[in-house]
Amino acid sequence: MKLTTKQLTLCALLAAMALALSYLENLFPLSLAIPIPGVKLGLANIVTVFALYALGLGEACFILLARCFLGALFAGNLNALIFSLLGALSAMGAMALLSRRRGLSIYGVSIGGAAAHNCGQAAAAVLTLGSAAPLYYLPVLLAVSLLTGGLTGLASACLFQGLRHTDLMKG
Amino acid sequence: MKRPLPKLRPTAWDGLVVLCVAALAVALAAFQWQGGSSQGLTAVVSIDGAEADRFALQDLLKSPRTYTASGYTLEVAAALRGDASPLDHVKSNGELGLQVAHSDCPTQDCVRIGAITRSGQSIVCLPARFILRLEGGTPDPDSVDAVLG
Amino acid sequence: MKRLTAYVLLLALLLTGCGGSVDPDEAQESIQVIAMDTAMLITTYGERSPAAAYACEDTIRDLEAKLSRTDPDSEVSRLNAAGGAVLEVGEDLGVLLDAAAYYQFTTGGAFNIAIAPLASAWGFTEDHFRVPSQEEISGLLKLVNGFSLQQTPEGVALGPGQSIDLGAIAKGYAADKIVQVLQEYEVPRANINLGGNVLAYGTRPGGAPWRVGIQDPKRTDEPNAFAGVLELEDSFAVTSGGYQRYFEENGKRYHHILDPATGYPADSGLASVTVVADCGEGSGLSGMMCDALSTALFIMGEETALDFRRNWSGLPFELVLITEDGRVVATGGLADRFTLDESSGYTYEEAAS
Repeated sequence: MKLTTKQLTLCALLAAMALALSYLENLFPLSLAIPIPGVKLGLANIVTVFALYALGLGEACFILLARCFLGALFAGNLNALIFSLLGALSAMGAMALLSRRRGLSIYGVSIGGAAAHNCGQAAAAVLTLGSAAPLYYLPVLLAVSLLTGGLTGLASACLFQGLRHTDLMKG
Repeated sequence: MKRPLPKLRPTAWDGLVVLCVAALAVALAAFQWQGGSSQGLTAVVSIDGAEADRFALQDLLKSPRTYTASGYTLEVAAALRGDASPLDHVKSNGELGLQVAHSDCPTQDCVRIGAITRSGQSIVCLPARFILRLEGGTPDPDSVDAVLG
Repeated sequence: MKRLTAYVLLLALLLTGCGGSVDPDEAQESIQVIAMDTAMLITTYGERSPAAAYACEDTIRDLEAKLSRTDPDSEVSRLNAAGGAVLEVGEDLGVLLDAAAYYQFTTGGAFNIAIAPLASAWGFTEDHFRVPSQEEISGLLKLVNGFSLQQTPEGVALGPGQSIDLGAIAKGYAADKIVQVLQEYEVPRANINLGGNVLAYGTRPGGAPWRVGIQDPKRTDEPNAFAGVLELEDSFAVTSGGYQRYFEENGKRYHHILDPATGYPADSGLASVTVVADCGEGSGLSGMMCDALSTALFIMGEETALDFRRNWSGLPFELVLITEDGRVVATGGLADRFTLDESSGYTYEEAAS
């Protein structure tokens, strides 16, 4: 992966924004309404969606890894790393696949990503706790992901709409 | 390897994604609810992946139980379905279940999730690495079904 | 696209349809009822288990509304407040009063529902515990032992100053009525615990008897500390013990089972009495019998209780007595249904028949 200075700057900027968004969503504690471990808005997913389309899979992965590692470092919680990594990588994988389907809009991609994110987190919980108990929450998490995925899809759609005529989208 | 710009308006194919996710959720839920029962329920507590305690649900009627996990303290008490407060303070009726009544963990998800009443259900406290799970059926032929006195 | 959607829907249907057939042993309902000053746990089985469980609850609530001493509108409260006037009573209260008179007679006064003023003086009714003075007790004892119920065609009346409390018999009667409900709803098996009054109806799923633990009176702070375990089917079992409710004053423990002969907590050398009887066809109101006798026999003590059982052979019941000096005495009919918990430290004896 050879990056131009412009691309590198963009990647760094996006990683910083993703970090900021993960922090920001703590201000909207969705888990107060739905008290289930792992319930999140997943705002950082907007960055992933954008990077995937505007930059490409490699760059998007790079941003995602930077976000996960830096986030865990800031939080000082390495246990959380496996959760965010598994969740984010599952989301990335799902979105990379879904975005190849020409029929799908940004909404379908976002929702698929959000659902995959929750599956990944549930898998991480199963791994770290050594029990299948967290799977019990998965149906609810999936239902919530329809909503949160739709919301991040809407946000991404607005973003693309706004950036449509800039050279960011033309690379 | 860049992707062509996505469609910005929902399409019929998005509906299919939604359907698939919903179907997965329903299927998982159905799988878990199957065989869910509230008979002779046994509560199983595991801490750090190892089973720490196992007791019959009605044992909680007398007194709550306290556990220490990963530096946090959790109190498990009897509860009625849909009720957030421990049994002693509720003059009501309903399905008997259990709940984490108090926890000093930072997220409090385990407390807010409320009561569980059926086998297969569980309460997970991630910070404390604590799982409270209800198992059903006739768990142990030697366990007692009722206590006199 | 349409075909894909159809496949997805079909898959969802298949997955949800797996749990279709209902095993009558699996179909059951457990509900918790707080009534009659105690926590009750009702578990019914069979296809109509939810309806049956809630019908049991209705039965309990209905009885509580009639018999409560704390609800001023209950029949019992109105009778107590009537000041000796004749009051018409409903069928349930009528049956209970007849039974109470019968057990007062057979137990030589050890069972006495007119103990209510004395229980109030000790504070057991309202949880304001105190030790009454000897004069106060003597005065109240006259009321208790002079108890006689006037029964006329128009209704019943208490003597002046007298009041009754059916707490020692009401849960047993509720258990009897619940047996009727279970039969009506064709419930194959049920496990009903009315705050220590256990109805083991049918068997466990799978056909083994229900296992009912008898609380070890010495280890009440430990969960699952049993003196032994009874294996019961189609049976009632009721335990009375001084450890169940008590207070301490000046280092002395006073429990809630008052002896109508002395006015003080019964001191008979027994730690608990468990009465067991069948609940099958033709066993009448045996739940009420167990409830009444568990209290009365606790007051009588070991010797008198075993004599009582021999003398009243028309009352078919079995006993497990736990004595203060560390023995567990079971009557013959329970020999193969009772297992001593070896870790409890009690010695087991079979009562001479």
